[in-house]
Amino acid sequence: MEAVLNAKLFTRRLTSRRILVFYLLFALTLTLMVINLCVGSISFPLQQIFETLLNPSGSGDLNFIVWKIRLPRTLATVMGGAFLAVSGLLLQVYFRNPIVGPFILGISSGATLLVSLVMLTSLGLRLTYVTPFLTTIAGCLGAYGVMILVVAIAAKVRQGATLLIVGLMMGYLCGAVTSILTALAEKEKIKGFVLWGMGSFSGFKWVEIGILAVLGGGLVMAIFLLTKPLNAFLLGEEYAASMGVNIRRFRLFILIAASALAGLVTSMAGPVAFIGLAVPHMARLSFGTSDNRILAPGACLLGAVVTSLCDLIARMWLNPVELPISAITAFFGAPVVIGLLIKKGARM
Amino acid sequence: MPESSPPLLELKKITVGYRQPVVSDLSLAFGRGLFVSLLGANGSGKTTLLRTISKHIKPLSGQAFINGQALDDIKPANLAKILSVVLTDRSSAPMLRSLEFVALGRHPHSDFLGRLSDRDLTVVESALAAVQGANLADRFVDELSDGERQKIVLARALAQEPTLLLLDEPTAHLDLRHRLEILAILRRLCRSRNLSVLAAVHDVESAAKVSDLTLTIKDGKLTAFGQPETILTPESVRELYSCPQANFDSALGGLEMASDGQAGRAFVLAGQDTGALMCRLLAKRGYALVTGFLHASDLDAHVATALGARVLTVDAKPAPGSATPSEKPLDKIDPDFNFLFDQAIKELTHCDLLAVAPLSPATPESLIQIRARLWERAKSLGLPILELGSNGDLSPIIEALDRLTPAHSKVAA
Repeated sequence: MEAVLNAKLFTRRLTSRRILVFYLLFALTLTLMVINLCVGSISFPLQQIFETLLNPSGSGDLNFIVWKIRLPRTLATVMGGAFLAVSGLLLQVYFRNPIVGPFILGISSGATLLVSLVMLTSLGLRLTYVTPFLTTIAGCLGAYGVMILVVAIAAKVRQGATLLIVGLMMGYLCGAVTSILTALAEKEKIKGFVLWGMGSFSGFKWVEIGILAVLGGGLVMAIFLLTKPLNAFLLGEEYAASMGVNIRRFRLFILIAASALAGLVTSMAGPVAFIGLAVPHMARLSFGTSDNRILAPGACLLGAVVTSLCDLIARMWLNPVELPISAITAFFGAPVVIGLLIKKGARM
Repeated sequence: MPESSPPLLELKKITVGYRQPVVSDLSLAFGRGLFVSLLGANGSGKTTLLRTISKHIKPLSGQAFINGQALDDIKPANLAKILSVVLTDRSSAPMLRSLEFVALGRHPHSDFLGRLSDRDLTVVESALAAVQGANLADRFVDELSDGERQKIVLARALAQEPTLLLLDEPTAHLDLRHRLEILAILRRLCRSRNLSVLAAVHDVESAAKVSDLTLTIKDGKLTAFGQPETILTPESVRELYSCPQANFDSALGGLEMASDGQAGRAFVLAGQDTGALMCRLLAKRGYALVTGFLHASDLDAHVATALGARVLTVDAKPAPGSATPSEKPLDKIDPDFNFLFDQAIKELTHCDLLAVAPLSPATPESLIQIRARLWERAKSLGLPILELGSNGDLSPIIEALDRLTPAHSKVAA
């Protein structure tokens, strides 16, 4: 009657299936990157793109388009999607709440507030010497300002739910100030600001790509190394503590890492909605597990895939008009998540 | 285990609580291989005590020692290899197969990246086997029933390879089968793995039946610590839960609710071991009980006493509640049971009902006579008489009771 269990065989079977999904996602990421390089307002054949990639110092329109526009954008999209997804995953695990995303703690609202200050008021005019990076720097200050506040509060507040509410309140607070600024702003400035608020991976400079890769990559590596204690958190703080995890230190790590990643992306690309909330769910369903040792890299790849796909649609759907990425992520992503949930009967 | 080795768990004048003390000055010690149950009313501090031992909270004063080492000096990562917990929290992890869930318990033992070695997997396998959960390995934890889930939660704790296992109400919300299964598994683990279980248990019956040692907490103090057979008495249980109606029978290890007597008084002529059921049925309907004629050691007598009945015994020394009744039949001393009959008639005049169970085959002739005379008297007093047929079918009795106490039947309908 009692089933004989071979745990080794069992885990090997699960692992081989999951490795297959990894390969698939990796191939998809590469394919989408190549497509994103090829197509646009002017499309180029694959061979020409490869030749240009191998010859960075060349000249001509194609060289300019690939090296100054499409390649930075493609890389930014891949990294941004990956970072947002991991950030969302961390916070979902920490709060044990499926409707949590990277912006739940007010990160995007803080960024938006400071960006509205420079875009909607005349403050920006006086800071011309940093103009190319003005919104990026403002977004960064806003996001990290809120992050520092939230982390400081988190050191005092024990309850996860309380912290969630604190984050929400921060969001409302920043949102209120932003609305006032919007009401007082000149009409023509508002459109630009609203578009910023919907996120875009266009206009990335190589410096920004470098910063994104080094800082974000470092944070993601740190997260990969700490997936073991993150797994202990799957059962809640109490169980994690009973298994020897230093709760206080680790929850600060989670909050800082998740906010830092989200803040980094948001300051450069604006608040890109939906990826951080939905991709962890998609990853859970496609890998069939909550094991964060698999989900963290899995969410990275899936985040890259989904965001690349959405950016492709945003650029090409009503070409030459470019749509805001947040509209696409939500428009196409939400039905996908609902469908997956219903089909798999999955539980969060 | 040599005598000189320190106890597995020792508490020295420990006071636990969050800011205010909840339980004060508690001292106790026990070794390995024991099932220790922790009893107390809701809010008496059972969970707080467990949380202190698991180092989730600090004691307000006093100290705890595990294997002779002060709890303060044990690093959390090392403590996790000695002690594991099962909390009341319905730890639901979505999209996690039972085997993966149990493997989370390897956390204190696995490498930095949490990779599972062959040994880790063997331990996970044996933890699942210990809870008879091998067939659940492939299932998702949040699809399991409460009972199955609790087995997996327990297996996770076992995967930590603890020598001390703390459980907070491990059988809450479980049906009878799973409750017994979990308790049996825990008992077996105490023996086979030489680990000790300290479990906050909410039902005194289970505690009495499975534990080697029991501690009871009431009003912020340890009120008793010892074998349940000695410390769980009808009085101590009533006192522990401040529940005057509860009657704990230490021989049966069961609880009965004494009747409030609002429906009146019933005389039960017991026999053929159906007396217990009849008594319980009548007590539930609110009758105060008198029952006879029984040996004090009869099952019927135990249940009836626990139900608050006055039991007319046929033993030489009628001593209700006495632990060692004399089994010498009264008919050897008083062949006609005259003394018993007088008592019974006196009781019957205060009763509103006579319930009669069929005779057991070995009933002495003189007792049969008394039963007949009692029956006659009840008739002449005009008492309703409920007679249980020899097939033991209680439903006619229940119908008759419904007619007598219509309010109850309305509720039932």
